[in-house]
Amino acid sequence: MSFLEIFDPAASPRPIGIDLGTTNSIVARMRDGDPCAIRDCDGEALMPSAVFYERSGRVIVGREAMRMAAAHPTDTIVSAKRFMGKGADDPETQRLGTFDFATPEGPEDARTVRFRVGPERVVTPVEVSAEILKALRQLAEDELRSVGAAVITVPAYFDDAQRQATKDAGKLAGLEVLRLLNEPTAAALAYGLDQKQNGLFAVYDLGGGTFDVTILRLDDGVFQVKSTGGDSALGGDDMDRALAEVLLRAMHVVVDESLASRELVRLALDAARQAKHALTERTEVDLSLPVKGGGETTVRVTREDFEALIAPIVAKTGVACRRALRDAGVSAAELNGIILVGGSTRVPHVARFVAELFGKEPLGNIDPDLVVAYGAAIQADLLAGEAANGAGILLLDVLPLSLGIETMGGVAEKVLPRNTTIPAGAKQVFTTYTDNQTGFELHIVQGERELAADCRSLAHFTLRGIPPMVAGMARLEVAFKVDADGLLTVAAKELTTGVEQEILVKPSYGLTDDEVEDMLLDALEYGESDMQLRQLAERKVEAERIVKATEQALTVDTLLLEPGEREHIDSAIADVRAAVLAGNSALIQARVEDLDQATKPWAGRRMDFAIAKAIRGKGVDDLDRSVAHARGVDAHVDEHARRR
Amino acid sequence: MDAFDTLGLEPRFDLDLAEVEARHLALSATLHPDRFAAAGPSERRMSLGKAIEVNDAWRVLRCPVRRAESLLVRYGVPVGETLEPRPSQDLLIEMLDVREELAGARRAKDKAALTRLATQMRAKEAATTVALTHGFSTANGQTAKLEALLPELGKLRYFRRFFEELDAIEDELLS
Repeated sequence: MSFLEIFDPAASPRPIGIDLGTTNSIVARMRDGDPCAIRDCDGEALMPSAVFYERSGRVIVGREAMRMAAAHPTDTIVSAKRFMGKGADDPETQRLGTFDFATPEGPEDARTVRFRVGPERVVTPVEVSAEILKALRQLAEDELRSVGAAVITVPAYFDDAQRQATKDAGKLAGLEVLRLLNEPTAAALAYGLDQKQNGLFAVYDLGGGTFDVTILRLDDGVFQVKSTGGDSALGGDDMDRALAEVLLRAMHVVVDESLASRELVRLALDAARQAKHALTERTEVDLSLPVKGGGETTVRVTREDFEALIAPIVAKTGVACRRALRDAGVSAAELNGIILVGGSTRVPHVARFVAELFGKEPLGNIDPDLVVAYGAAIQADLLAGEAANGAGILLLDVLPLSLGIETMGGVAEKVLPRNTTIPAGAKQVFTTYTDNQTGFELHIVQGERELAADCRSLAHFTLRGIPPMVAGMARLEVAFKVDADGLLTVAAKELTTGVEQEILVKPSYGLTDDEVEDMLLDALEYGESDMQLRQLAERKVEAERIVKATEQALTVDTLLLEPGEREHIDSAIADVRAAVLAGNSALIQARVEDLDQATKPWAGRRMDFAIAKAIRGKGVDDLDRSVAHARGVDAHVDEHARRR
Repeated sequence: MDAFDTLGLEPRFDLDLAEVEARHLALSATLHPDRFAAAGPSERRMSLGKAIEVNDAWRVLRCPVRRAESLLVRYGVPVGETLEPRPSQDLLIEMLDVREELAGARRAKDKAALTRLATQMRAKEAATTVALTHGFSTANGQTAKLEALLPELGKLRYFRRFFEELDAIEDELLS
């Protein structure tokens, strides 16, 4: 690890955008106002999402790891993304593959999939992803000298556990994750800015392991997601598997746990992928494959055969598309364009299916492999405050899956429905059912099914410290918040006493904060001391960013300052600067907090002013208009009927 | 602050939904956490809280049931099914019949019947909306007149539940 290099004093840190894909990953950045992918020394932008764990302990990522997969099928992890946020018993672990899954030692252990790589080593999908992110960061560092914060993309249909796992991987890779951005929204951002077109769009994103469809409206830089749908375990991998199963039969292979079998499975999967790629241009392909027990066989795969094999997979995407259209309340005919994203949309059958489904030819002018990373780079630039003309751009995304609480009888009561614009919040009041009850447990689930057991379990929240009261007297207000990353947080308060409740979170899947912290320590060569260096580096960057933002605001909102406030803020800024120069991590944190306190009342006034301006901006006119146009009852009914 | 205050809109039932959406966008452009990514912790927290309020207000005002509830609460009329008068026998019987028909259409996977039921209920919903619009505009904030609107609101809730069920069935028939 070389954190000090990031803070090369000669170079200012540059934000990056990362598409962490199932099959390939890409890092991109802005150059002269346009997104561009950062290429490796061979000129390749796509880094295979493969990680090879050498017995010596060395970790190899990317193309070279891919080459090791044939000879070391279990020590090379591919498609780790499919296992992010998944438990050891997930159905995904039962499918054709070359992984050697470690048997969980207990329920705590079973909260995440674990891969056995070599006799001594077990890794989680989060750690594998972190290796990929580190390699991408290194690639970016080679070009930019200094890498700042990152935007990482995730499938729109990722649930809370999958998002959290991605964020953990970023943290483990030493990245400051500015935002998790939904892949279809990222693609739309890249397209929207490129084409300067307004209207209603569908983004059809079929990647290596995930499928998303998003319906969004683009209106002068505002990207408003209307609905999203998909399947976070559906993609090109499934096409490869379908064909590989046919090939394995031709090879007379009976799949078992042996290394020999795994090697042949790897070979069949690779051959299937190559055939899939070849069939994009050609109508048939001959594969020469080894036969178990010696000899070779030639298997001819025609495009027709292949299309018949993948038809059920592609048909599944159609269901999600129709549902997304319905959720958005629009018909396919109303769409102004279809954006194709993901390598799997190169399969001719897929492109044809999409054109038929939506009744128009999809747009394809940006490389479907790179468009998501481009969008991530644009967003990173906007969030880091680097973009010169970023003020007009706004991404309004949605919650992909409903959030619910398990109630009596095991029913999942929806707290926030799917396709709610995020950030979103909801409050629910509960009461105690026994006298002097001091604790309360909530089970939070995500999904559309009626029963909690059929939804995805997210976490059990235990509320503690409820003041002793007669049963039914306590009023526990539980507040759910979903932030702009689509991540959930929960807070609780007892209303009659106003006591803020202590909440113990037990995630159903994934890693706890402590586990991530431990992994972080283990990964660092010099443990604690590296960690401190890293913390110092992070705090310096954050401090500088806050000072910059404060100074910018000071030039704009001078009028909202009260007498004496300016001096107070200026001196707090000077103190932060001095602490940064002194290089004292704890001092920086304390001074940043002081600055935060010094600017807080002014920040509140600025926000109130901005709200008033947004309401007044068009508001004065609008109010007049709404009175002048106060439409008759009939007009209202028409609109009402249309809306349904 | 209720939903009308949050979006700075005149409290009325017959809102222009395009205007509500425009206001939501204008406020989101100002308050979205993306706008405060570089700011200090307090400011980020404030923006998150305000953005949530604005999104929630938008959801409330878009939905006729919640919009009506919000207006009633604003004028001091308690709402919620346990606080309101019980629905009429006629409504209950009517809804029972309609839902039986709905269940039948579901079993038969009869899309034409679903469409017919939807059209029928939409007409009823529209009539109720007209009654509420008229009621709110003539009530002038008088409690007695507002309370008289509660049965209409009750109907709207039943219709909404019907449409939720219809949505779920249509969803089921898609796959």
